[in-house]
Amino acid sequence: MKNKKLMVIALVTLFCFAVMVPSVLFAKDDKPGKGMYFRLVTHGGNDPFWAVFQQGMRDAANELGCRADIDLAGSDLQLQQKRFQEAVAMRPDGIALVINDSTLWDKPVADAIAKGINVIGTNNDDEQGSAGNARLAYIGQNERRAGMMIGRAVFEAAKKSGKNVANLKVAAAVEVPGANYGVVRSSGIKDAMKEYGIKGDIEIIDATLEMTTAESRITSYVIAHSDLDCLFGLGGITTDRITSALKNAKKKPGQVLAGGFDATPGTLTGLETNYMVASIDQQQYLQGYFSVYVLYLMKKYGFAPQIDTGGYLITKDNIELIKKLSPKNIR
Amino acid sequence: MQRIVNRFFGFRASFTLIVFIALLVFFGIFSADRSFFKVAHLTALARLAPDLGIVALGVGLLMIAGEFDLSVASTIPLSSFVFTKLLGWGSPLIICLFVTFIAGMLVGFLNGMMVTKTKLPSFIVTLGTMLFWRGLIFAASRMMPIGIRAWLDFGSWLEKMLVGSLFGVVPVQILWFLFFAIILGVLLHFHRFGNWVFVTGDNVTAARAMGVNTDGVKIACYVILGFLCSFMGVMQNIRIESFTANQGVGFELKAIASAVVGGTALMGGIGSIPGIFLGTLTIQIIENGLILMGAPAFGISAFIGAAIIIFAVLNVAAARVSGK
Repeated sequence: MKNKKLMVIALVTLFCFAVMVPSVLFAKDDKPGKGMYFRLVTHGGNDPFWAVFQQGMRDAANELGCRADIDLAGSDLQLQQKRFQEAVAMRPDGIALVINDSTLWDKPVADAIAKGINVIGTNNDDEQGSAGNARLAYIGQNERRAGMMIGRAVFEAAKKSGKNVANLKVAAAVEVPGANYGVVRSSGIKDAMKEYGIKGDIEIIDATLEMTTAESRITSYVIAHSDLDCLFGLGGITTDRITSALKNAKKKPGQVLAGGFDATPGTLTGLETNYMVASIDQQQYLQGYFSVYVLYLMKKYGFAPQIDTGGYLITKDNIELIKKLSPKNIR
Repeated sequence: MQRIVNRFFGFRASFTLIVFIALLVFFGIFSADRSFFKVAHLTALARLAPDLGIVALGVGLLMIAGEFDLSVASTIPLSSFVFTKLLGWGSPLIICLFVTFIAGMLVGFLNGMMVTKTKLPSFIVTLGTMLFWRGLIFAASRMMPIGIRAWLDFGSWLEKMLVGSLFGVVPVQILWFLFFAIILGVLLHFHRFGNWVFVTGDNVTAARAMGVNTDGVKIACYVILGFLCSFMGVMQNIRIESFTANQGVGFELKAIASAVVGGTALMGGIGSIPGIFLGTLTIQIIENGLILMGAPAFGISAFIGAAIIIFAVLNVAAARVSGK
């Protein structure tokens, strides 16, 4: 009788163990951000920059187990404002906003925060930072500093090649003349020009967003200005087409020193063949990634950090890492 | 002599030819260091202008038939995307080409069917298809450029055929532009299909009454344009060594402008392939020539816009004078 009792107890214990262990082993951990929803309202559009930004956002959302959506208003400020109002109406757990105007966003952001919605800046910030806008944090690159970095790289190469630095002739091609990114980056290049004592001004070439038109206009400009020393692309498309334009104009590597932004295939070719000195990788993956993480941490613990995602200078020496990660939308 | 002069001015493209020659002389004299006629500039022009030109030939043909196609700006990157994906999957080059051309022609066919069967303005229908295909491309590519060098060796037969140089000097792109201009020129001006195109664009009711299958003519023009867009998409893809979602942006309006500058009427029924050929080159040499002259590269679009308006007005005036 006693043995039978012991047997039953042992079997029940074994049964409980057999049920418990798998459920413990295979139990899904709830991810920390489960149930949270964040919205990223941007002026982004049809270029590779925002594809990488989105990848960062997606990876962060997957890691945290939260939901995140992105609005790409395509440089249409009115549309972006509309999207922001829609986002506020949805009452998300936080909004990351590209603050691409230093006055227009002041009231909308302040009103959203007054309603209890966390709003941070990403990618672009108010010119006066937290003094000019009520956003609770900012994640992004300092575009002007990035312009200065690429300017320094190219002008240093010009100096080393024996060119008369004070009299360098400098031009920059831009996809959308007057767009904020181009204005701020060219300001950074001008800062570098001042630093190197370059007397002249930077001439802007309206290249457009279309690849062939950009290449054609840059080619004609280089042919017309045989005294050109330094050429910049202020965006990914113009930087991509510089190498072909220089070849079309029968320039040899080093005759016109070039630099720009992003790591598109044409730009990587230019770096490998010495037509380009360097390009800035904006590390926009980090902007999308940290936007989600900061909003999560802000919601949970009230943290409000400022994160400078910096600019990474790609040269011929470190190009291999970029080539490996570029197809994965990480660089 | 008077007969020859009258006959010359009877052609819609005659005015475009006169302006084209005048511009060549003007920019040749006034460009910095006479750089307009330098080998570097002429070879660059011959390499790059055909991208717009090949598409403009098809757009102009369609305009003569009385319709528009704004979706060219999406058919071009779509074709480039299809080609790149097939390359990445290891397909033989000839299959990549064949399937890409079929894709372009299919897009054209769909446009043609929608326009002819719904009877909606082609401007609206093709605006919709332009946005539709563009959205699909953005979603499929996630807007990332895709380099093709991992799958296409330097110096392949396809590269030589589409973007190589004859005798190391003459870019083959200009030869392809001439080739398509000749084929379409013969088709439009010496074949009865061309007559059908003109009469369909001029008066579609009268054309039907004459027994012309106007829907078939329009669909055929859309298919031809779809093929030309896919050809150009592949050619551009190989030249820039990648697919990018921005390929062809703005071409829908620039191709129409090339056709108008070449004497094609916006209302249909009037135009010529030589005119469209010259119209494309005229727009391109205005753009290049002004930059070579040292015009502010920042505001070049203003000059091109002004030139298009002037040409459109002068073409209308020329049509009135010649009684067409």
